[in-house]
Amino acid sequence: MLKRWILDFAYYLDTSKSYQKRKRFFYNILENDKNKYKKYVDYFMMTLIFISVSVLIREVKFHVNDYLMFFSNYIISIIFLIEYLLRFWVNSSISKIIVARAEHDTFLHRDVNLYKAFKEIARVKLLYMLSPKAIIDLLAIMPFFHELRLLRVFILFRVFKLFRYAKSFQTLSSVLASKKFEFLTLGIFASVVIFVSSVLIYVMEGNNPNSPINTLYEAIYWSIVTISTVGYGDITPVSHEGRFVAMLVITAGIAVLAFTTSLFVSAFTEKLDEIKETKTIEDVSKLKRFYLICGYEQVAKEVAKKLYANGNDIIVLDGDLERFEAAKKDGYIALNYNPGSVESYSKLNIHMDKQVKSILCLREDDIENVYSALTIRSFNKEVPILSLLMSDANRKKLNFAGINNIVYPQELVGLITKELIGKPVAFEVIHELRSENTEVSIDELGITQRIVDNFTIVKELGNKDFRVVLLGIYKHKSDRFYFNPLDDTILEVGDYLLVVGYQIFILEFEKYLHTKVRNV
Amino acid sequence: MSKRTALIFGYNKYAHEIVTNLKDKYEYIKIFTLDEKEVDNAIVEIELFDLSDEWTEIHKDVDVENSMAFCVLEDNAQNIFLTISLRANFKDLRIIAIASNEESANKLKMAGANKVIPLVETTSDIIANMLEKPISNKILHSILYEESDLKIAQIKISNKSRFKDEQLMSIDWTRYNGIIVLSVMHEDMRGDFIYSSRAKHHIIQEGDILVVVGYEEDIKAFEKKIGSERYVNWSHWSW
Repeated sequence: MLKRWILDFAYYLDTSKSYQKRKRFFYNILENDKNKYKKYVDYFMMTLIFISVSVLIREVKFHVNDYLMFFSNYIISIIFLIEYLLRFWVNSSISKIIVARAEHDTFLHRDVNLYKAFKEIARVKLLYMLSPKAIIDLLAIMPFFHELRLLRVFILFRVFKLFRYAKSFQTLSSVLASKKFEFLTLGIFASVVIFVSSVLIYVMEGNNPNSPINTLYEAIYWSIVTISTVGYGDITPVSHEGRFVAMLVITAGIAVLAFTTSLFVSAFTEKLDEIKETKTIEDVSKLKRFYLICGYEQVAKEVAKKLYANGNDIIVLDGDLERFEAAKKDGYIALNYNPGSVESYSKLNIHMDKQVKSILCLREDDIENVYSALTIRSFNKEVPILSLLMSDANRKKLNFAGINNIVYPQELVGLITKELIGKPVAFEVIHELRSENTEVSIDELGITQRIVDNFTIVKELGNKDFRVVLLGIYKHKSDRFYFNPLDDTILEVGDYLLVVGYQIFILEFEKYLHTKVRNV
Repeated sequence: MSKRTALIFGYNKYAHEIVTNLKDKYEYIKIFTLDEKEVDNAIVEIELFDLSDEWTEIHKDVDVENSMAFCVLEDNAQNIFLTISLRANFKDLRIIAIASNEESANKLKMAGANKVIPLVETTSDIIANMLEKPISNKILHSILYEESDLKIAQIKISNKSRFKDEQLMSIDWTRYNGIIVLSVMHEDMRGDFIYSSRAKHHIIQEGDILVVVGYEEDIKAFEKKIGSERYVNWSHWSW
């Protein structure tokens, strides 16, 4: 009967949307680094840690306000206890383990063995409880029993809790963890030297009435102070034998120090690129909208410069180290990833449809561009892709790869020369309008609800007063461009005004459109 | 007898595109190459040239003043040397050259090219416009490359023109007969946007060129009304 209840309850929890939603919420704010609220929880916890450590320091010589003591000893401890229990809860799912066991046994036509399920639950939960982070969490709750004076020092464990909240600490520990074997070897070597030298110095000096070393504890203390090259000088050997041991320990100490330093340096050097890459990916995931440039060659350089100047964020992907370095040097967020590999995009951890304005395949090589475009299309059909075309014979292949816009520089040269011959002055005018570096430019002004509320027809716009030429209106509904629109043309939300003028006047005009309030 | 000719130096994809776009505009198109093998394998008639040529044949056959040279060699140094060599021999020849980067574009201008097309710059301008201003890019592209009925034209103010001696700003250009006047080129060949302060006080004179946008019929009607007509003259085009 009890078994039935347990199974029913486990199935209920496993399928309950509200329960899972709550559990996911707590998991996200406690464990998911990508969750936007987690950092606030982390800041809150860090503040609590600093408060309790400050109270501990103050308490050494001064009286601390009773309320503050109460807050530090009880409230903070209770908050930490709640945090510990929540982490314990979200770390693994009891109901899932029971359900999985039930499914497994039912499939094999056996009686459901709850004992095995509980054993698994105990194993998983114990594994969590014995993890260093969970132990520190538990010890940090201990000051709750502050009447036990010894337990007060456990407040210091709260400082260790900072490891959990500050990312740089985690980076540091992951760097050091990569050299686990080397540090273990160093530790064993240092321990052996300390042990042997402590015993030796104790044997040599223990019975000497002039020697300050009277106990094995003092011998170990002397050994550690000497091997670490600190050498306080409060305890020094007096006999010749003792001084000989000291010389050996000092020599070993230099080796230990050199070894430790080189280990730290090499661990950081090896991990530096990885750390930087992780930071870059984090930065990218925070960006709202950006252009993703695949391949950083000459055209890409210029395009990136122009888009960046317009206030856009640019991300460059290039598998070639030299080009990747060039992009970084030019000040863009760059990753040394191959744009032709799906793994590169999954590592980037971005939302293609929401974050990417457009993907630009700008390698000066059609094969590479097609390869990158196909890679992107294999997991996303919607994101707009623009590509350079270097040989007209490959145009069909680029179309087939799902590229939305193709730019063929050779064709541009042909068209430009034709225009130059026929209408040189007109060509120059259009070229000037298109160029970013001239004062007079063409711009698109989107019609918003606010504009429509204040300006219903073209005549009311008053663009002439701002020395702005209204070239036409692009009507969103009919997807048509109306050149030189009539005065009574109605403005609708989603339309675009195509205007020509000095940039400064266009800006003034745009500002006017957005801020003017109709006179009633 | 000398003929109006398009001289294309370099047998490559650029040359191919230029030929496709210019074949109706010139009596003759001559393609030159530095590579002897290309002369044998080419599907069109091409001639061999040397960078140290004295260009005697061109002197003889080509109406230099009304011809155009296109320097499209892919090697920047060779293209610059070719340009300087042509300019040294033909003072009045109009030279258009392509440059792969800004640095060689400047050198080509110094070497005497009338117009330099900086490939990277132009391509990136087009790409940036396609992404940032898709509507204006589409409209300008269709106006410039005549993919729509909307056209851009240059109209020269003649002696009989209605607007002659009138102040530029006193005329409501923006609403005039369905056309839009974008800019005016003065006698000194400096172009001014219609709303610029320079243009504001300008008195329209004979020889000024108006750059207008409009539908073909409206442009024709405008020409008729103001008593001026469309105008293309390379000699007025300088940098």
